[in-house]
Amino acid sequence: MLYPLVSIVSLCWNRKDDMYESLKRIREIEYENLEVIVVDNDSTDGTIEMIEREFPEVKLIKMYKNLGIEAYNVGFKNAKGKYIVIIDDDSFPKKDAIKKMVEKFEKDESLGIVAFDVRNFYKYDDIKKTDYEEKNGVEEREYLMSFNGAGAGIRKDLFEKVGFYPEEFFLYFNEPDVAIKVLDLGYKIKYFSDIVSYHKFSPKNRVSWRAPFYYTRNAFWFIWKNYPMKLALKTTIKLVYSCFYYSLEQKTNIYLKAMFSAFKDINRIKGKRKPVRLEIAENLRIPFYLSFTFYR
Amino acid sequence: MKKLLIIRSISFQQLDMNIIEIKNKFPNHEIYLLTHEHGVSLAEKYKDIDRIIVYDYKESFKYRNKVESIRHEVFDAVIVPVNNISGLGFYNVLLYSLSIKAKKRYLCNLISDIKEISAFSILSLGLKNLIYSFFSFVLTLISTLFLILFLPLKLIQIERQ
Repeated sequence: MLYPLVSIVSLCWNRKDDMYESLKRIREIEYENLEVIVVDNDSTDGTIEMIEREFPEVKLIKMYKNLGIEAYNVGFKNAKGKYIVIIDDDSFPKKDAIKKMVEKFEKDESLGIVAFDVRNFYKYDDIKKTDYEEKNGVEEREYLMSFNGAGAGIRKDLFEKVGFYPEEFFLYFNEPDVAIKVLDLGYKIKYFSDIVSYHKFSPKNRVSWRAPFYYTRNAFWFIWKNYPMKLALKTTIKLVYSCFYYSLEQKTNIYLKAMFSAFKDINRIKGKRKPVRLEIAENLRIPFYLSFTFYR
Repeated sequence: MKKLLIIRSISFQQLDMNIIEIKNKFPNHEIYLLTHEHGVSLAEKYKDIDRIIVYDYKESFKYRNKVESIRHEVFDAVIVPVNNISGLGFYNVLLYSLSIKAKKRYLCNLISDIKEISAFSILSLGLKNLIYSFFSFVLTLISTLFLILFLPLKLIQIERQ
């Protein structure tokens, strides 16, 4: 079997130590035909200098300011690989993950996205069975799944066709926005328990107003961009209810702010609404669990 | 041997961390994990999980969604992991835990603090949430009038030509 070029694309912003570790681990990956692209969102903590000094093989793209996930797209567009592997600055694929991913893609033309099993970097090796016989894939009989941007592989041509990540989102809901389009084109998204990505999951990274704000606002935009009219209306009403409910329950106005921002700035998704088939919208499992990013 | 059930209401990344503390706090317990179908083969990797139970529904944990295979089981402990500090936003899972026969229920938070939560506390929380639900419902009803008039037109406007 020939092993095509794979581009690993990462985005970083002021996480020098995590980025260093991630790139060090990427060097250990057992796959020869690899390109590594890091897009830096204007870090000021020495991340850029560290990458230039320690990892000359990395293609570093520097942004002039923090553009959020829009900067990822610069990396994706510059990728030359047949397949793109998306990771975060605090995640990296396991040594054997890329090879296994390529094998899955090459075996199945209809496989659009390979979703990695994203696990806790600090604890996963302690809690897993040593004699675990890995399965080939995760079956969901009744519903479709999105993927986790801390570890996923996607066909470059397909990614291009769906317009890469939604630039207007800045943070959160970018994965479901890609997933729903990929599924609507008739491709599959599949989780593989034997393809692992490590993520530095940490409670410390969670304390921020940005997460619930962007998650909530983008949930509205995701629906309005992709859902057929009736379902969009119905789901919007449910989301409005959730915003009121969680604001009262958690005594915060962040959900209301996000909801108002979604309506006020609706023109930022002008020309981007393209409803998918009803069965795709209905079957893709998006819990719209607004409060999941709220720390306290 | 005592039996413990974890309701997987959080990501595997967090559970990887929580499970060590759960195991330490509840030694000599047989650990069951209740998870959606897509989580089964990922959960099978845990060395400390003895049995995986499938929550055979697409939606989140809801009181009315019974799981036949554990209907008659009585657990010594049921754990509800939450992905924040207080457990706010996880009322549906706490309520769901009441549909399972258990001697004690516990909340395990983001930093793996495990504390007992009584059925009474869950029901009191439910009463408070009922009030929030009522106000949210009224506010949503008012908003719906605006939504029905405004949103369809706006969605047509933002459609790709």
